[in-house]
Amino acid sequence: MARLWLEKLGSPLTDAMGAEDVARNRVSLEGLNESVKQAIDTAKDGWGESYRERVHAKGKWTTWERIDALKDEGTKAFPIGSLVNWGRSFEGSKREAPGAGVVTAFVKVEGRWSIVIANDNTVASGAWWPLTPEKIQRAQEVALRLRLPVVYLVDCSGLFLPEQSRSFSGARGAGHIFKKNAELSAAGVPQIAGVFGDCIAGGGYMPIISDRVYMTEGAYMVIAGAALIKGAKDLKLTSLDIGGPEVHVNRSGCADVRVPDDAACIESIRGELAGLPSSAEAFYRHGVAPEGPLEPTEDLNAIFPSDHRQVYEIRQVLARLVDGSLFHEVLPNVGKEVVVGVGRINGLWTAFAANNAELTEHPEKPGEMRPGGILYKEGIAKLAAFTRACDADGIPLVWLQDIAGFDIGVEAEATGLLSYGSSLIYSISTNRTPMFTVLLRRCSGAGYYAMAGMPYDPVLQLATPISRLAVMEGRTLAIAAYNSKLDSNFEIASQDPAEREAIAAGMEATANRIETDMDPIAAAARMDVDELVPPDELREWLEVLVGATYQNTGYRRVKNPRIWSLHDLEVLGR
Amino acid sequence: MFRRILIANRGEVAVRVLRTCKRLGVEVVAAYTHDEAELSWLKEADHRICIGPVRSYLDQDAILQAAKQTGCSALHPGWGFLSENATFAARCEAIGIRFIGPPSHLIRSMGDKIEARRSMKALGLDPIPGTDEPLGSVEDARLIAQDIGYPVLLKAASGGGGRGMRRVYEEGNLASAFAEASSEARASFGDGRLYMEKLIEAGRHIEFQVIGDCTGRVLVLGERECSIQRRHQKLLEESPSPVLEPEQRKAVSERIAKALSAAGYTSAGTVEMLRDPSGALYFMELNTRLQVEHPVTEMTTGIDLVEWQLRVAANERLPESWRAAQGHAIEVRINAEDPERDFLPTPGALDAFSFPSGDGIRVETHLQEGDTVSPHYDSMIAKLIVHGATREEAIESMLSAIDQCHIRGVFTTLDLHRSILNHAGFRSGDYDTQTLAKMQES
Repeated sequence: MARLWLEKLGSPLTDAMGAEDVARNRVSLEGLNESVKQAIDTAKDGWGESYRERVHAKGKWTTWERIDALKDEGTKAFPIGSLVNWGRSFEGSKREAPGAGVVTAFVKVEGRWSIVIANDNTVASGAWWPLTPEKIQRAQEVALRLRLPVVYLVDCSGLFLPEQSRSFSGARGAGHIFKKNAELSAAGVPQIAGVFGDCIAGGGYMPIISDRVYMTEGAYMVIAGAALIKGAKDLKLTSLDIGGPEVHVNRSGCADVRVPDDAACIESIRGELAGLPSSAEAFYRHGVAPEGPLEPTEDLNAIFPSDHRQVYEIRQVLARLVDGSLFHEVLPNVGKEVVVGVGRINGLWTAFAANNAELTEHPEKPGEMRPGGILYKEGIAKLAAFTRACDADGIPLVWLQDIAGFDIGVEAEATGLLSYGSSLIYSISTNRTPMFTVLLRRCSGAGYYAMAGMPYDPVLQLATPISRLAVMEGRTLAIAAYNSKLDSNFEIASQDPAEREAIAAGMEATANRIETDMDPIAAAARMDVDELVPPDELREWLEVLVGATYQNTGYRRVKNPRIWSLHDLEVLGR
Repeated sequence: MFRRILIANRGEVAVRVLRTCKRLGVEVVAAYTHDEAELSWLKEADHRICIGPVRSYLDQDAILQAAKQTGCSALHPGWGFLSENATFAARCEAIGIRFIGPPSHLIRSMGDKIEARRSMKALGLDPIPGTDEPLGSVEDARLIAQDIGYPVLLKAASGGGGRGMRRVYEEGNLASAFAEASSEARASFGDGRLYMEKLIEAGRHIEFQVIGDCTGRVLVLGERECSIQRRHQKLLEESPSPVLEPEQRKAVSERIAKALSAAGYTSAGTVEMLRDPSGALYFMELNTRLQVEHPVTEMTTGIDLVEWQLRVAANERLPESWRAAQGHAIEVRINAEDPERDFLPTPGALDAFSFPSGDGIRVETHLQEGDTVSPHYDSMIAKLIVHGATREEAIESMLSAIDQCHIRGVFTTLDLHRSILNHAGFRSGDYDTQTLAKMQES
């Protein structure tokens, strides 16, 4: 029967885990959520009130005011890369570059998800810093992959020149943004630009390739501003005279429409979005109404033990992500260290591949249990087959990582784990169905790769504030680094007290340094994850991502559930 | 129309659905439990399938397996058990078995009292005045109470069974009542949050039968008055209500049809309303299923509600109109209970079990002489429904029908019904949800 047997997952958390564990997990996560939220709020604040006043004094809106006016009423913007450049200082600047001076976000406009790329005019007048080009390109890439219209809100004073060498010339230097503009255009993705102020040098190309370009009366686009034009001062020429709307809309034809101010510009852009095809989400729901999970999403803040050695039930997590807490598990009887299956997000079919942290039975040694959160042969094979089926069926795939790594040891190598793992890597590298990766907790070693970590090009990678991204945990790395000084049980081999002490101190220092590097905020600052998301906000993020995935027709394979190859897997796996 | 359906229920409603299916030529698979394998009605079904021990009517997996295994294309949930379980409805739909009822998301939203209240309010059906959010403080409570007017009722946000509930008649008592209710609620449910609503004393329970189809048409098929209740259990129902004026009926029906059409309601359902002594009707809840007392409506309108549940489930359209309701119908619920011992259920073998028949008399039961009344389920053993040209006629013919019932082996509520039907207040039509309790006190 080409139908899915849906099961209700989950139970009240205090029944499943005990009130004490729930309370302890909640408290420990609260602190982490809070520090992430504070960091994001700080970044969003740009250079603060005085810079907002400067913008207002010019009769302009701040970047966030523009975004708030652009988005549909009652919706919220979902920023990506909020913490890029967090904690990083720059030559020639007393201040940091919060969010790399640009806001990139999923924003719903006239009922359609769009990607907004907006220079933050409260950070050095929207200048481009190191990692700003990469952050813009990342957002363009998301738009390209999902065919989402792109809205550029341009207000950019150009490259932050003291650091030009780090953002100009490389493979992902600023110029690559314009190549992405061109690629988006070539793929038929609508691009709309509003120019609100400065738009100097390279920045000039970004709006030009857009399908529609609006300019406010205070905006100008120039290859070089008045400052570089010989004699400009004598002629009292301003940049506005050189490249304002009078020139570009009425004479050069480099822009389409001039509008009096920010408000009118935003309203015009909304009008452009309204002219695009409406979202196909309702069509792809196949007659099913969207609904929230039955088990409260808020519980997700209390499920994960902060001690990464402690376990929890992954099905309780899934129950709090999918509609009605209803899920169809695929191949439930093999490779139990991973859980794969499909459920709906807002009525739209979504596939999940998740690690199971709990102990599971050893398939070949009756009565023996083995730890979860590790990839064994069966689980790897199951993931590979499942991802290929999802790819064949066009079901967007969400990876939920809590992975310590691959199984290791003599037995593991002898079974050919390297080749099973490589087969999985091959599958996720060549699959074309949109993948989204969520780092729930651990994300270590080759497991991070095999479960579609960032190097495997998920459309987006989210991480929770308790996630820990590293090749290996600090203690393990210390053991590896000091291997020659340790015996077979990883105890210090030397008998000399002074040497023992030195080794112990060295190992501790190594472990501590790794712990700091594993801080998810540091990972977000490096762009190793796209956004940090408190667990109880994962569901709303998935609603955005899955909704965006099903918004457009005609660009990717979407099979109706009747003819899913997933059913074949079901039959064969029985 | 469906070729074969599973009845995922037992007892009287199973027999009721079976009867309509037979008339429509729809094959029936009866799901039964071990303990009831011997009941005589099962023989009437085309196929039978055992779903397990007592209480298996709540076992979703067993019922879905049974429906799949027997090749059913639809499933009638009856009332009670899984009939208002949104998860079950969604699971049915996922495996391609039509759940005979509204879509699962509506079952879910109507099952959540606060959400139902909010959404129906948004669609133009006013709930009992009160709060949609828990009260923040006594001060909040005071302001809201001034707004909606005393007396008010404080209720626990996650409560039930009267705990954490206080009636407040004047502002002077509000603070102390708030503190008491809140601490009682915290002690009982671990949640001290309170809601407030206007306290309606001497209210009347009036409910409207609706049915909607897949085109968004919703018809309202008149009302039933169910104010004769014992501890919120309905005992006797009639239609039309003796107090509802035609203009109000028309206005409320139109509002209900509009609201439910906007909500996308399909299948049969019942909008339960509370009428305050001034005559205003407030939305209480929407039951997304067939109601026990549905025959009252069927008797006056001539419509088979189960038939139309099946038809609209198979995406047939409702007719443009039906004839107007005629005459007056009354239903009494005959429970195997001992009124002398505070209505204690009295299961046992039915030594005698016979009813009158004839024009204007209808009997709904799944039992026959010699069957045993199960101690595992509710105590209703039959419903007796009569129809007359006028209310007076219906009351008289119900009294005479009751005289002709012969039930031996269990105690029943028949005598109680006799006294209700002879009660002056009931006869005059001037009664409310407290009437029965007062009658029994005196």
